[in-house]
Amino acid sequence: MSRPLVIAAAAIFALVCLAPVAVMAARVGVGDFEGLLAGRTLDLLGRTVRLGLGAAAVAVVLGFPYGFLVARTDMPLAGVLRPLGLVPFLLPPLFLAITWTAVSDVRGATASVWVLGANTFPLVALFTARAFERIDARREEAALLVGGLGAALRMELPLVLPGAACGACLAFVFAVNDFAVPDYVSSVGPKFNVYADEVFASWQGDGEAGRAVATALPLVLLTLALLLPALALRRRGALATVDGDFRTPAPLALGRLRWPALVFCGLVLVLCAGLPLTRLAWEAGGGTRGWSVDGFRSALSRTLDLERTFLANSLVTSAVAASLCAPLALVLGHALERSRRGRRLEVLAVLPIAVPAILFGIGNIALWNRDVAFMAAIYDGRAMIVLLFIGRFLVFPLLITSGAVASLDPRLEEAAELAGARPATRLARIVAPGVRPSLVGGWTLVFVLAMRELDAAILVPAANGTVIFKAFNRIHFARDDAVAALCLLIVFFIVLPGLLWSLFGRRRLEVIA
Amino acid sequence: MIQPRPRGRTLAAVLGLAALATACAPTPDVVLYCALDEVHAAPIVRAFEESTGLVVGAEYDIEAHKTVGLVRRIREEHARPRCDVFWNNEIAHTVSLADEGLLASYDSPSAADIPEEFRDPQRRWTGFAARARVLIVNTDITDPAEISGMWDLVDPRWSGRCGMARPLTGTTLTHATALFSVLGEERALEYLTRAKQGGVHLTSGNATLMRLVSEGEFAWGWTDTDDFNVALDRGAPVAAVFPDAGPDGLGTLLIPNTVCVLAAAPHPDAARRLVDHILSAEVEATLARSRSAQIPLHGSLSDLDHPLPLERMKVMAVDYARVGAEIVERHAQLKEMFLD
Repeated sequence: MSRPLVIAAAAIFALVCLAPVAVMAARVGVGDFEGLLAGRTLDLLGRTVRLGLGAAAVAVVLGFPYGFLVARTDMPLAGVLRPLGLVPFLLPPLFLAITWTAVSDVRGATASVWVLGANTFPLVALFTARAFERIDARREEAALLVGGLGAALRMELPLVLPGAACGACLAFVFAVNDFAVPDYVSSVGPKFNVYADEVFASWQGDGEAGRAVATALPLVLLTLALLLPALALRRRGALATVDGDFRTPAPLALGRLRWPALVFCGLVLVLCAGLPLTRLAWEAGGGTRGWSVDGFRSALSRTLDLERTFLANSLVTSAVAASLCAPLALVLGHALERSRRGRRLEVLAVLPIAVPAILFGIGNIALWNRDVAFMAAIYDGRAMIVLLFIGRFLVFPLLITSGAVASLDPRLEEAAELAGARPATRLARIVAPGVRPSLVGGWTLVFVLAMRELDAAILVPAANGTVIFKAFNRIHFARDDAVAALCLLIVFFIVLPGLLWSLFGRRRLEVIA
Repeated sequence: MIQPRPRGRTLAAVLGLAALATACAPTPDVVLYCALDEVHAAPIVRAFEESTGLVVGAEYDIEAHKTVGLVRRIREEHARPRCDVFWNNEIAHTVSLADEGLLASYDSPSAADIPEEFRDPQRRWTGFAARARVLIVNTDITDPAEISGMWDLVDPRWSGRCGMARPLTGTTLTHATALFSVLGEERALEYLTRAKQGGVHLTSGNATLMRLVSEGEFAWGWTDTDDFNVALDRGAPVAAVFPDAGPDGLGTLLIPNTVCVLAAAPHPDAARRLVDHILSAEVEATLARSRSAQIPLHGSLSDLDHPLPLERMKVMAVDYARVGAEIVERHAQLKEMFLD
């Protein structure tokens, strides 16, 4: 490890990821916690927990079999369906909510659970798939010999459950922190109020910032309560140690179940991604006024023309943020994995995603909007939004990279050290190539999350020029062909990097490790 | 010996340049925070830029935040204000900002013929181009003559057929807060409680309610004149009822746009020029003719052809300063009432 590099990266991490949280925490006084455990708060928390559990349950029901079928069986088209399974997670959940409220009368809690579960099932599928792949072929063959497919699955279940549970914990975390979907699906009738909405509403008051921060505390604790087990489960499941003589298991033969399995996976994809995208395409092409290819083309070209600047802004800021995250993740992920106390620091690493988005955004304003020339220049320009994206999302490539480093044999680095390579050279020449798919996976994840980020960035001036900001305003005012075309364009650009890697990359993209 | 390759340095250089390019942004001559919909405000801002040669850094609120996003940002930025002019599409939160000492006094000559009741006595804010709270009625379902005022909403004979937005954000929150000041605590609470507990459909916003009335899902409900005009423009079978117009009635609540200069505006001269432009009769006439049909307040525009002229309504006498002072407290109270 290069000490100066690690210190520099840690300092950047502290400034960009932790300082905005610390600035907000410093506003809280003891009196601000009064009334925090009132009956109404507890009711809201209970409802939010039920929403999270419901969404996680949907994610498991869809994601567990999906992950198993695409990763470990001889199901037809498994190789195609595996990367496609990520698409629902790439769609902004509000796009799913818009579609489902257009095609169904289900509203309120049920709709929220379904939309958020459908959006996050790829997390469970990913972790499940990875856990299933790490089962040694010899153990599986022995179980197959003794009792066939049933016995093999009974043997494997305890080994893959931690991975699936990790995905479910993450699905829970995403669900309980979302307030746009519950708000949208209860726009008529009884409001399905959740705790994240309460946190947002508390910022609409006057200058009682301390109380507003304190209001967020139960949600932060709830999020951490699930994130920390997720980290532990990730190590036991997806990161379970693979022996040196590990043998990759052969695909399990499904026999007559091959085609029903394909139908199941296809149906999941259609419901979670195909239907929303088709609906948007239908609306872009004219919708109820009559769909036509010309109408579709015209809507896309008009929208592209009109929103070009905002699309470019989002693409550039997201790409720059993702690109700056990659080297930081490499240095910090390596240090996290190789140092003795690294794992304990994972708690600090997840803090920026454990706090509500709006709190993180306001923390950035409080931190950067100062009468110091360089800070003012950053705050007033687009650099602010890049820093905000890095601060909020660096944790993902960091954990992905540290997981990939765990799979690297440390003896390679030791050999390079003996050959005279300096720490920075070892990192660049030995570690980086070994974890490249994870670095690209981390880059893609940050890019995707930054492209669809709204809640934390909403109060930051530079967010005014992002395409997602424009899209949300357009969605409010109209549901016409241009709005649908804009949503489709955003989805296209979100999916593009992963698509290009899938087409031209020689190795599979790793968004978990 | 392993030799470092130059590729890493090239990559770092490219990243650095990209980061630098991202950091660069044009410096505006005046910064405007605007809560009015961009589609209506942007042409007005462009006209100002063309006539003065000044560059306006206009930043718009996202609709989901109902103005509060920009108000919150102004509060959070008080340590180093970057906003010069705040154009709010309502009044209550502007009054709150004035009470907090965040606004400067400026008596714009453009506002000379705007009635006093829409101007802060200390000239920290000026109201213009108002919206009115009206009852939108689907004429295919209901005869507008059957509805006379706000209490019809909670009358059992309309149970399950009318609606309103939850009074938690935007103009509906301002409206509910105004009701407390004009009706008194008891009567206002009675009205809102009956609305919550009775057969009144509650929606997330006025635009949603307008759409549902236009489509015949509801017979009628509260909305703003800009939303009503959108329905009219789309050819929906709707009419507007100006509520409680009788001699003893409360009348119609007007909610003007407001514009103000920030106390610590970095560009005060340019800010005042922009305020003069926004408050001009020409801009108000433009907003009146726009799809949002804002109601002009300039005396010189009294004969302007408008679908919802001031003469057709009895204007509610409301103390905007009091509404602004109470809105935070009322928001907390209404949140308890309308969010389970």
